[in-house]
Amino acid sequence: MNASPLKQLWQKFQRTRIGRSIFRVGLPDSNLERSQVMVSSFLLHLQPAKVNKHSLRASYSFGLGLITLYLFFILIGTGVLLMFYYVPSTERAYESMKDLEFVVSAGQLIRNMHRWAAHLMVLFVVLHLCRVFYTAAYKPPREFNWVLGVALMLMTLGLSFTGYLLPWDQLAYWAITVGTNISGYAPIVGPKLKFLMLGGNVVGQPALIRFYALHVMVLPAVTILMVAVHLWRVRKDGGLSRPDEPGNVVAQVELSHLPTNKTYGLMELARGTTPQVGANPEDEVFSWPHLVFREMLLFMFVVAVLLVLAIGWNAPLEQFANPIHPPNPAKAPWYFLGLQELVAHSAFWGGVGVPTLLVVTLVLLPYVDRQRRGTGRWFARERVLANTIFSICLFVAIVLTIIGSFFRGPNWSWQEPWKKPPVATESH
Amino acid sequence: MNDPTPGNGVSRRAFFQLSLGWLAGLFAFGASAVAAVRFLVPNVLFEPSEQFKADKPEDYPDGSVTFLEDERVFLIRKGNTFRCLSAVCTHLGCTVNRAENGFHCPCHGSVFDDQGTVKGGPAPRALTWFLVTLSKDGRLLIDKGQPTAPEQYFVL
Repeated sequence: MNASPLKQLWQKFQRTRIGRSIFRVGLPDSNLERSQVMVSSFLLHLQPAKVNKHSLRASYSFGLGLITLYLFFILIGTGVLLMFYYVPSTERAYESMKDLEFVVSAGQLIRNMHRWAAHLMVLFVVLHLCRVFYTAAYKPPREFNWVLGVALMLMTLGLSFTGYLLPWDQLAYWAITVGTNISGYAPIVGPKLKFLMLGGNVVGQPALIRFYALHVMVLPAVTILMVAVHLWRVRKDGGLSRPDEPGNVVAQVELSHLPTNKTYGLMELARGTTPQVGANPEDEVFSWPHLVFREMLLFMFVVAVLLVLAIGWNAPLEQFANPIHPPNPAKAPWYFLGLQELVAHSAFWGGVGVPTLLVVTLVLLPYVDRQRRGTGRWFARERVLANTIFSICLFVAIVLTIIGSFFRGPNWSWQEPWKKPPVATESH
Repeated sequence: MNDPTPGNGVSRRAFFQLSLGWLAGLFAFGASAVAAVRFLVPNVLFEPSEQFKADKPEDYPDGSVTFLEDERVFLIRKGNTFRCLSAVCTHLGCTVNRAENGFHCPCHGSVFDDQGTVKGGPAPRALTWFLVTLSKDGRLLIDKGQPTAPEQYFVL
């Protein structure tokens, strides 16, 4: 035994009465213990004891979903900390942001981390969606998990929107104004929905407290629940998608076809495919250490990158909300600028029509796309049509976002970024 | 359903029990949902009145267009006539800025002429004109709850 002193100390602790009461299996030394540790620990049992080698390939998944999950954890942690100082009142909200910046120890850092994690989460949700599309991972049996993923993307955007309203600066005030007015364009329920969101007819205290309740309680609670189901379904649907999936060859047994005059064990009743069905033992490795250590490494990497961003770049805070004048130009955060560019042509199509069409298309996609081949491979040749259509949509979204971000100046007029903007003439 | 009658499969008693159970359950669930949604609709609003008083007519020179900040309206005097134009863009509610011969919205680029008519951009409707009257103390009284036709004005 040439274990490190730290490991020896840990093992000594585990052999004490207290250590044994907490950890049911110590640090594993044999394959038996490597399996046992995965099923006997609450946090580890969420994952399988063995995992397919293909699922560990970083060049397949890029860990995008996992990064999104880690960012969400960090957002909960930093968000709860921010709640200790933030006051959801139109008079105090902005001041509590200033307190966080200038008075509270590490306040600026926590707020920066929250903000950077939020922006990165939007980015990684979209990247994760692209990965799942380009590897055709939404095909049976994973159709419903794709739908859950689309819903989680909407929750992420909802959390972002309700979040950047809270500082009650210029961005917040005019985003509430524009956002709730967009909801007013929804057919039939529009005006009522707008009244419900604002808690009145004008943007003020009732609106702020409503978006606060949504941001810190309602949306996170629903998101946590949906994340749990999303992850559970990843396992129940057979782990990460891969080309040689057993689900493609093993026919599922219908419960109704089983004789009823005998007793069944749980294994016999479990439906669907598990990662073990039809899998070759030589394709599988133990989750401890192969999966668990990779996950911990990725988490440390995400935290490290986030810290660098949070130390290097401060989260912006615009001027105190001014209900008389919006900033000129008044721009949403980057992830909504593609939509804002559309809204600048038509409020209904940009704010209601196109987003609804996009979401409906994404939700229906796994049920409309009947082609079963191509799962588990990037840019499979059988899927050249689907990939082309998706890429075109993605390209349009990126172009619109770039136009909204860099090519729009005062009064949302066309403005090449390399030319000096004209002096805004504002006379009242 | 201990005694299913042949033909329909559900006994009369079971049918009534099931119907009652489902109705009671749906009613309880539905009523709670309605109550929850209704709870979120406020009954009392602490909002500024839609009516407000501007200054006296003589405080606004002939030919002037005055932006009343807190109320987000333009008060326009021409000769002895007074009119009041909303500064809230009909597109998504930003405040329009006065420009030469009209108004520009900074948010999404809507353009209005000096009568509030849409000249460009995404705005679906013209800017709203509000009713101007005179209050008893001699000040102009504007009612933002009462839109009027563009050609209607208050004569001193």
